[in-house]
Amino acid sequence: MGMVSIDALEVGMLLADDVLDRTGRLLLGSGAELNAKHLVIFRTWGVREADIAGMNDYEAPVQLPPDVTLEDLLAVEKELEPFFRHAGLAHPAVQELLRLAATKKVNNEYL
Amino acid sequence: MNIYKKNQATVQSLIEETRTVYSLPLFYERLNETINHPRSSISDIVKIIIDDQGLSARILRLANSPLFGCYSKVDSISKSVTIIGTQQLRDLALASSVIKVFKGIPEDVLSMTSFWQHSISCGIVARCLATYLRENNVERFFVSGVLHDVGQLIMCTTIPEMVQQIRDYSVNNDKLYYKTEFDMLQFNHSQVGGALLQSWKIPASITETVTYHHTPRFAKQFPLETAVIHLADIICHSMEFGHSAEWCVPRMDENAWERLNMPVSMLSTILKQSEPLIHETFSILAEGI
Repeated sequence: MGMVSIDALEVGMLLADDVLDRTGRLLLGSGAELNAKHLVIFRTWGVREADIAGMNDYEAPVQLPPDVTLEDLLAVEKELEPFFRHAGLAHPAVQELLRLAATKKVNNEYL
Repeated sequence: MNIYKKNQATVQSLIEETRTVYSLPLFYERLNETINHPRSSISDIVKIIIDDQGLSARILRLANSPLFGCYSKVDSISKSVTIIGTQQLRDLALASSVIKVFKGIPEDVLSMTSFWQHSISCGIVARCLATYLRENNVERFFVSGVLHDVGQLIMCTTIPEMVQQIRDYSVNNDKLYYKTEFDMLQFNHSQVGGALLQSWKIPASITETVTYHHTPRFAKQFPLETAVIHLADIICHSMEFGHSAEWCVPRMDENAWERLNMPVSMLSTILKQSEPLIHETFSILAEGI
């Protein structure tokens, strides 16, 4: 079992635990098999992740244009780092912002 | 450095100088009074809005924009008042009025397009964050975001040479702009902006967020609102949605981040939601800048 983010959930996966909405209401019980409608309902109720049987913790991979590699992304991140040097790069939220900014830049360049 | 001696400007002197030139239109006061009056109806409010053709058009376009995601076409002011809500309408009218007030100020120091792009993006991101936090009046966050850097405009009109000096000094010495302002003037643009809005009698839920958007730990009455604006400002700087006088991503206050109680993975979702809204909202609000 492992937490899988909403963007990486697929039809046919098996739930290892109940899925609750933000208020704690039960949406789908453990053991259920996901279908397309469930995915829509999860999004509607703001579910961000689900516990899936037989998976390790898994985040949706960064969406990169076809001919961009992870190295390219890391290079752009390095390039942008000086721009973030006063923001407090030790904090995970700032790191995430840097990653998002780099992703945006890479995507724009390859449009 | 002799800059320290030459400097006589204080927050108060800047505000007084600004107030004689720029004032909120009488229209906003009338709207505010009517909305606050317990016995006024939607049609009273509509009557006031219709008086201002420019605003009517902007309100209609906003009501039809993805910001409100209404399926059917909103074709009358009274319908849009019902959809947007009266309190929210007042806030939108405020944002739109302030943008208009500062129209046509010299662009020597700051590009206005870029400035409003930054401000409006900050409003949109703040609004999305507020939606995530399940806050009830998200438009309030939108206005606070739009107005958060208004102090920079005041300083650009009243002490442009000083602003240029501060900017050069901050870039040359690798120091954040708002910190350099404080070093050279003993105040910064957030205080100036807050003071102007206060002198315009804008509610504290907006002025406080503007005053403390770089130092959210000092916000006493509205710490959550201030934290949201603080974060939205940083997000917009990071993604380079327009530019203000700040040239680097400002420092993030960790406590402000904690206060939102939001997982880091939410940031990409917030961006996904706000990015498509920015362009359209900008074109509606900043028309003709």
